[in-house]
Amino acid sequence: MLHFSRVKIFFILGAVVLGLLFSLPNALSPSVRDNLPPPLPKGTLNLGLDLQGGAHFLLDVDVKDGVETKLKIESSDIRRSLRLERVRTSKIALNEAKDAVMVTFKSAADEEAGLPILQARSEPIDESQVGSGQTLDIEKVSEHRYKVRLTEDMVTAMTERTINQSIKVLRDRIDPNGTMELTLAKEGNDRILLQVPGADNEQVKIIEDRIKKTAKLSFHEVKVASAAVTNYCVQEDVCPPGTAAYLDDQRGYMLLIERPILTGSDLKRANPGLKQQTNAPIVNFTYNTAGANKFCDFTAEHVEEPFAIVLDGNIITAPNILSPICGGSGYIEGNFTNKSAKELSLLLNAGALPAKLRISYKTQVGPEMGKDSIRAGKVASMLGLVGVALFMWISYGLRFGTIANTALAINIVLIAGALSIMGATLTLPGIAGIILTIGMAVDANVLIFERIREEAALGRGPINAVDTGYRLSIAPILDANITTLIAALTLYFVGSGPIRGFAVTLAIGIVMSVFTAVVVARLMTSVWLRRARPKTLPI
Amino acid sequence: MFDFSLVRYLPKDANIPFIKFRWIAMGISVLGIIVSIFLFSTRNLNYGIDFKGGTVLEFSIGADPQNELENIRILGNNLGFGGNVGLQSIARPADGTGKKPDDLRMSIPKQTAPEGAESDDQAQTDALNKAEAALAEAYPNFELMSTQVLGTKVSGELKKKGAMAVILALMMVLIYIWFRFEWQFGAGAVAALTHDVILTIGVFSFTALEFNLSIVAAILTIVGYSLNDTVIVYDRIRENLRKYKKKPLKEVLDLSINDTLSRTIMTSVTTLLALLALYIWGGVGLHGFAFAMIWGVLVGTYSSIFVAAPILLLLGVKRGGLQK
Repeated sequence: MLHFSRVKIFFILGAVVLGLLFSLPNALSPSVRDNLPPPLPKGTLNLGLDLQGGAHFLLDVDVKDGVETKLKIESSDIRRSLRLERVRTSKIALNEAKDAVMVTFKSAADEEAGLPILQARSEPIDESQVGSGQTLDIEKVSEHRYKVRLTEDMVTAMTERTINQSIKVLRDRIDPNGTMELTLAKEGNDRILLQVPGADNEQVKIIEDRIKKTAKLSFHEVKVASAAVTNYCVQEDVCPPGTAAYLDDQRGYMLLIERPILTGSDLKRANPGLKQQTNAPIVNFTYNTAGANKFCDFTAEHVEEPFAIVLDGNIITAPNILSPICGGSGYIEGNFTNKSAKELSLLLNAGALPAKLRISYKTQVGPEMGKDSIRAGKVASMLGLVGVALFMWISYGLRFGTIANTALAINIVLIAGALSIMGATLTLPGIAGIILTIGMAVDANVLIFERIREEAALGRGPINAVDTGYRLSIAPILDANITTLIAALTLYFVGSGPIRGFAVTLAIGIVMSVFTAVVVARLMTSVWLRRARPKTLPI
Repeated sequence: MFDFSLVRYLPKDANIPFIKFRWIAMGISVLGIIVSIFLFSTRNLNYGIDFKGGTVLEFSIGADPQNELENIRILGNNLGFGGNVGLQSIARPADGTGKKPDDLRMSIPKQTAPEGAESDDQAQTDALNKAEAALAEAYPNFELMSTQVLGTKVSGELKKKGAMAVILALMMVLIYIWFRFEWQFGAGAVAALTHDVILTIGVFSFTALEFNLSIVAAILTIVGYSLNDTVIVYDRIRENLRKYKKKPLKEVLDLSINDTLSRTIMTSVTTLLALLALYIWGGVGLHGFAFAMIWGVLVGTYSSIFVAAPILLLLGVKRGGLQK
């Protein structure tokens, strides 16, 4: 056990040197670090948000809202395709729970003609994938009456798509210049994780605002209707087919055709500006080609009629069409301030969020507070380290105390190196993990030393005692540390956020402490034994 | 040379009859468990925002807050959050620049959603904004240090996940030890760990210290630490059972505990040293964690000696099975 081949020594020392090399950047000042020659690693520990300050959000995607939007489009498409084939229906509308479209045919003949059309609307979710589920689930609920729902597979696929789209939109909204080092990622099934390092109070407020606005912009045809019809629609929710009531701040409710002429996705670019005559803030925009054509056709057919621009469910303006608008650009005017016009342009450029997002978790830590935590962590780990080292020297004397403490120092260097290589994030609980490791790391050495003492007391000579001590300690050290590792790994897989940071440091600490005690400390002991050839052991 | 080493003065052949005290120890443990369960079921735990949902904001008012505590409390309660706001003064760690005024931590109970809203998440954020605005108006030097908002859904999930982590870890450990030793050892280890977990929850219920995610992490670490201790003792028991085939189990247990006693003491002391440093100098954020760990190291050390070992006597160990 005490013999080390040259190759082995080379690898052990190599591992230690590598650890040193990779942990080194953490100890250097940023300017020195940046000027290191290329082969030297520059990576340092990332500080978690709780240490460097910033905001951390968990956003819930409102799946229900997405389903409702999808069903509204579906119901209007069903109406059109049935009408095209002259199938008569008495009612096509969303049900109370807003999770299905209810289609009622007028007669058995209509049902017979209409059902295939209805069924044809259900398509494979992913056409490139064989055997993927269908989009719609059609169920007969009573005579001539069908319930059209999105299948579960469809809702899952939609949620996934919604999340991916939302992440893209959020990135454009929050960090249009790409300088903020945002973390935006899917978390769990229907959640988005958003981390904004270094965000202060003001920034967090702006960000929250941008998360909450869906910025759904659409242009609608106005359905001219009497006040009685409009009121009936608002109060009783019974509206002329294909229309819905929208609120205009100045003019009260208006009936609009639900199917939009244009949506935000038909826009190419929006910019804040000022209206020439009045100097009132407006939002200028240009359509893309398809949008320009659609709008040109529509305005040509509806001269002298009003149309409405709806943003997030409210009418912001409803001008009359004076002449066909075919220039491919236009402007929105409403009660804008310079700031709100700028904000709306930014939102329109980033695109609409496909569904509403809710902030279900938010933490924000000021940078000052993070600095305080780091300072406290440094003080505590230094003092903990000094305390443990002193205790080991007092307990095991200069020789073995030094071996244990050198192993401890190497252990810490290796932990820092490993965390830097992995690009792991150091969090407040992570600091606790390191300090705890300092205390527990000497355990393996203590175990070995105690065994050596025991073997020496049984009358073995120094070399024999050390050899036997190391040999017999390996099994309990491995058993004890593997079980602790199991606990750390469980913590990693089940835990979240900062707790994971803790689990990582703990797990790395366990592995490194076994390595330093069983391999590095043994090498030191064997070198010393062969040089000094002591008659008795100094412990 | 400084050839002094303290361990030499530790008794080499400690012969403390630990197993003789097993009934007393069992009495203490069972009493502790009963009291813990009783406390937990009557007082429950002082759950932090992680598990309860709600809003916490930490701030400074730019002056010594001690005289203002009552005013701030009244201000908070007048905002109509349905229930009292919690107010706590948190000392900032020393940083060498002299004494800074303390920060305050205000916790707002979970807000229920207004009629018709699907989720109460927005209500929490609104409460935060309301409190912040009111404080900023009352104190011109108001400075927000950190905030945390948690809706019901996430907090419920975190609670479930935390409990699952502890149970899962215990099961995995049971399987590993069963595999490496005998089932009696696995059962004994899990009994000792469950004992530690229950007593830790009991002490948190008794002291009403905040129980949050980092305490769950601490409990899992306690499980790891106590297990470490237990496995070391078990390993020696296994070795001694093979060595002394004729010795009564009771004596083998005592011998093994005594053999590993100096190691048990040494490791406990070094770990406690590091944890004390963490508790005293580690800052407010880690106070609860350090407290739980210190308690856990004490309980875990006790349980490896007085719970894990005597249980083997109760369950009986088939000695033939260990002779590989």
